[in-house]
Amino acid sequence: MNYSVDNVLLGSAVLLPLFFAVCGLLPRMRGVAAAGTTPAGAAGLAAALCVSAESTLDLPWTVLGLRLGLDETGRTFLFFSAILWLLAGLYGRGYFRGQERAWLYHVFYAFAMAGNFGLILARDAVTFYVFFALMSFASYGLVVHNRTDFALRAGRIYIVLVVAGEVALFAGLVALIGRTGINVTLPAGEAMAASPAALALLTAGFGIKAGMLSLHTWLPLAHPAAPVPASAVLSGAMIKAGLLGWLRFLPVGQDGYASWGTFFIIAGLAAAFYGVAAGLVQTDPKTILAYSSISQMGFMTLGVGAGWMAPELWSALLVAVTVYALHHGLAKGALFLSAGIAPGGMSRWSWAGVAVPALALAGAPLTSGAVAKSALKYSAHELPGSWPAVLGVLLPVAAIATGLLMARFVVALREYHSASHGDADRRWMVPAWAALVLASVAVIWFWEPGAGFAQGTLKAGKIFKAAWPLLVVAAAGLAVYRWPPEFLTRWIGRVPPGDLVVPAEAVLLFLRRTVARAAGRFPRRAAPDLGNLVDRVASRMLGLEKSLGVWRRVLIVLLGLALLLFALSMAAAAK
Amino acid sequence: MNLQESYLYFILLASLLPAVIIFFIPEQRHRLRVFVNMAGTTIKLVLVFVLMAGVRQGKVYESRITLLPDMDLVLHADALSLLFIGLSAVLWFLTTLYAIGYLENSPHRSRFFGFFSLCVSSTVGVALSGNLVTFVIFYEALTLSTYPLVVHRGTPEAMKAGATYLAYTLGGGAVLLVAVVWLRILAGPLDFQTGGMLGDLVQTYPLELRCIFVLLIGALGVKAALVPLHGWLPKAMVAPAPVSALLHAVAVVKAGAFGIVRVLYDVYGVDPAAQLGVSTGLAVLAAVTILWGSLRALAQDELKKRLAYSTVSQVSYIILGAAILGPVATIGGLVHLVHQGLMKITLFFCAGNYAETLGVHHIHGMDGAGRRMPLTTGAFTLGALGMIGVPPLAGFVSKWYLGIGGLRAGQEWVVAVLVASSVLNACYFLPILYRAWFREQAAAWPEEHAGSRFEAHWMLLTPPLVTAALCIAAGVCAGSDWSPLEWVKMITEREYAPR
Repeated sequence: MNYSVDNVLLGSAVLLPLFFAVCGLLPRMRGVAAAGTTPAGAAGLAAALCVSAESTLDLPWTVLGLRLGLDETGRTFLFFSAILWLLAGLYGRGYFRGQERAWLYHVFYAFAMAGNFGLILARDAVTFYVFFALMSFASYGLVVHNRTDFALRAGRIYIVLVVAGEVALFAGLVALIGRTGINVTLPAGEAMAASPAALALLTAGFGIKAGMLSLHTWLPLAHPAAPVPASAVLSGAMIKAGLLGWLRFLPVGQDGYASWGTFFIIAGLAAAFYGVAAGLVQTDPKTILAYSSISQMGFMTLGVGAGWMAPELWSALLVAVTVYALHHGLAKGALFLSAGIAPGGMSRWSWAGVAVPALALAGAPLTSGAVAKSALKYSAHELPGSWPAVLGVLLPVAAIATGLLMARFVVALREYHSASHGDADRRWMVPAWAALVLASVAVIWFWEPGAGFAQGTLKAGKIFKAAWPLLVVAAAGLAVYRWPPEFLTRWIGRVPPGDLVVPAEAVLLFLRRTVARAAGRFPRRAAPDLGNLVDRVASRMLGLEKSLGVWRRVLIVLLGLALLLFALSMAAAAK
Repeated sequence: MNLQESYLYFILLASLLPAVIIFFIPEQRHRLRVFVNMAGTTIKLVLVFVLMAGVRQGKVYESRITLLPDMDLVLHADALSLLFIGLSAVLWFLTTLYAIGYLENSPHRSRFFGFFSLCVSSTVGVALSGNLVTFVIFYEALTLSTYPLVVHRGTPEAMKAGATYLAYTLGGGAVLLVAVVWLRILAGPLDFQTGGMLGDLVQTYPLELRCIFVLLIGALGVKAALVPLHGWLPKAMVAPAPVSALLHAVAVVKAGAFGIVRVLYDVYGVDPAAQLGVSTGLAVLAAVTILWGSLRALAQDELKKRLAYSTVSQVSYIILGAAILGPVATIGGLVHLVHQGLMKITLFFCAGNYAETLGVHHIHGMDGAGRRMPLTTGAFTLGALGMIGVPPLAGFVSKWYLGIGGLRAGQEWVVAVLVASSVLNACYFLPILYRAWFREQAAAWPEEHAGSRFEAHWMLLTPPLVTAALCIAAGVCAGSDWSPLEWVKMITEREYAPR
């Protein structure tokens, strides 16, 4: 084995966070996990910056042969994810100062970090799946960290969807690669013709993570329930793992999947608009940001769909989607971190630190958002059929909508009671937040794939194009600021955080109550009480189980039968 | 008899001799008994490693004693038997340690450890059997030597469970005897042979062979806890925790599963079994067992009972993998023989620790147990996540091969069964973890034994930690040369090698 520098970097990006996580589990080394998030995050960043594209780290003796490596897409994902994990880790060192259970948070944080870095570096299907599971399960600890009823409920919904996603991925991966091998190198889509079932399972499995509409319900609950720095990595980095999963496993950019492309475009658009609509009526700024993430992931879903519909555009769209992920990851992370500082700890000028990433998400000129959106739009114009016309209308409208949502966020943040507790140490938090804001502003101009698009957006015409939706927003934003949220709820309706999950829970509760009421009116036996029903099914099963006990006797019957058969066959043989 | 043959007898004696000695050790000679026990387990571990090294290089160890004219007692160590013996040697070592700690100061320890060693000797015999007749002898010996362990506590409940256990297993044993005699008349000496020993008989006696197969599965299915023959297993969990641990992970249940694998691969053979069409029925039965066991596990509040039904479900993974009759699925099934053993014994050790240290027997009483016993609960967590099949733990490797094997054999429904089972496993394991780690302790522990340096007695604590570490290692290092997976791949290559 060749222990080159690249291999050491690749290995340490995964092993260092794991090492600190395990250290943190030891009672005497609990402090190590908190301090370790910094070198662990830095190891990821170092790998993103220094590892050359060709090198892979092969560990044939692990699992089914783990393979780590870095391609251009992975490099960008690792780059922004590592920045987020590093800075949110530093932020967390202040945020949790003085909390009794802080060490546990940092342990889960380090495990999730290892999972996130590992899945980005994965060069084969099993490696991806291994680290994806590590990240998903470890994040449960982040979501429920506060142990409030709200956090525990969010955790419950989160873990149900994690398990659903895990088994969907298991079935999808088996269906994808089962006929040809035990494992497959990534990207998998180029190698094989996938069955529709495999595609559907993989789409859903990763769609849960990426907040695809109707699978998104955990997001607006888990993100606000988690502590501030955890929300930042959940929404900035981990949610992108679903997107990366699609890029790695689905045969995007290949001919013959146009209908899947259409499905992804429609799903993306639906999420983009629904996320804004549901977000506008929220009052908690972190919930607003979570809905904004659903909306923004919609744009990336749309990009994937466009590339699937028109394979010739895919190489450009892949870069566009990657740049979009970079932009959204950093900007959204910065906004989440501000929720732990605002409004009490903010001077007048530091509101600029909120405004800049918010403007970037809205796609204001000269921001990373403008670069990302122009990259996406550029390719959208070349789609077949009437899609350019449709998107030509819908994308600016969506930009306006996003702008409104950001305005709503700033308003909500001003009325917010800070999410951090009394002992929190701002000497860690503010610099980390400021650094992330700066990164979200600056990185796009230097990072290779983004920089190309970025220069294109500097032309005067483009600046105006990016600016006009914002002028609308400015007017509308004033309106949002003037009118209380009731104005919005009247127009959109009241959407509880977690939307679809709430009616689902309510329907269950309603059924129970109605049935219970009916049970009160009717004699007990006739009542189809839900709780009763469960009891009845259970007792039916118990009855069945008991009747299976008769098999003891059946064994004896079987024995007699066997002897008889045996004798008969012997008699036949004797003849 | 040369040295190589005598290894086989040494391995048997390594547990048989301690059994005989221990019966005569007076109750209060604690140290002597511990010494004999641990010496036996250690010697056996060493011997097993020696044999493994030999079999790896392609050697086959065999020894034959004529029992009756034309009927030999054959001991035979091939890769498959060593898979089972290796598992039992490692887990016997740990379980003995655990049992010594668990039964400290309780009565009848000499009786217990005597039968405990006998039970393991019979298991080794089952694994080493080179023909069906030898197999039947040790299989019955296993039935009888386990009974005193199940009823060890002597409570009415234990006696009742013991009666149920005997009724099931002796019934099964009788059916097995008939089946073997019948097969003996048709096929002559019943030596196990890679690829099957039936030869042309498949064409001559298809109907009889099908009948015999049903009888054999019916008989072996009792110990393997195939639905609907599993009724004894959840009752037998009244036995002390180390017995349950060994029963569920290695000895009884696995002897049944191992027997089914032997019948399928080395008596019938892959191709004849497919020709006779008997394997599909077995696969369906295994799938039903997987789902039924999990569904029943959901309904249990008693921790050990939930684990018992989980065993019903998980052991059938082995049978499912074997019955699909494709190389990849076979790997998945056989490797689960080891993986399920490691995970399940971890879970039972932990359940025993909760009962012994805190007096907690029920899941609803486990709130906050993680805070009080972090190491035990950590081991339990790894075992449970492994059962669900979360990568990279041991259970994931089995599940992955089973799923792909099912697909490769054109049986897509296997993937659906695995998905359903994983979901059910998550439904009955995750709430336990949630209670133990994330809930606050609700009431004082029913019977807390405090005062040891660690969260529990070190003899109770070490075994689950070691087995939990092995659960990780079996998954994380699955690609290394000495992993169960590589060993099973070797077996499968030999089994499916063109003849």
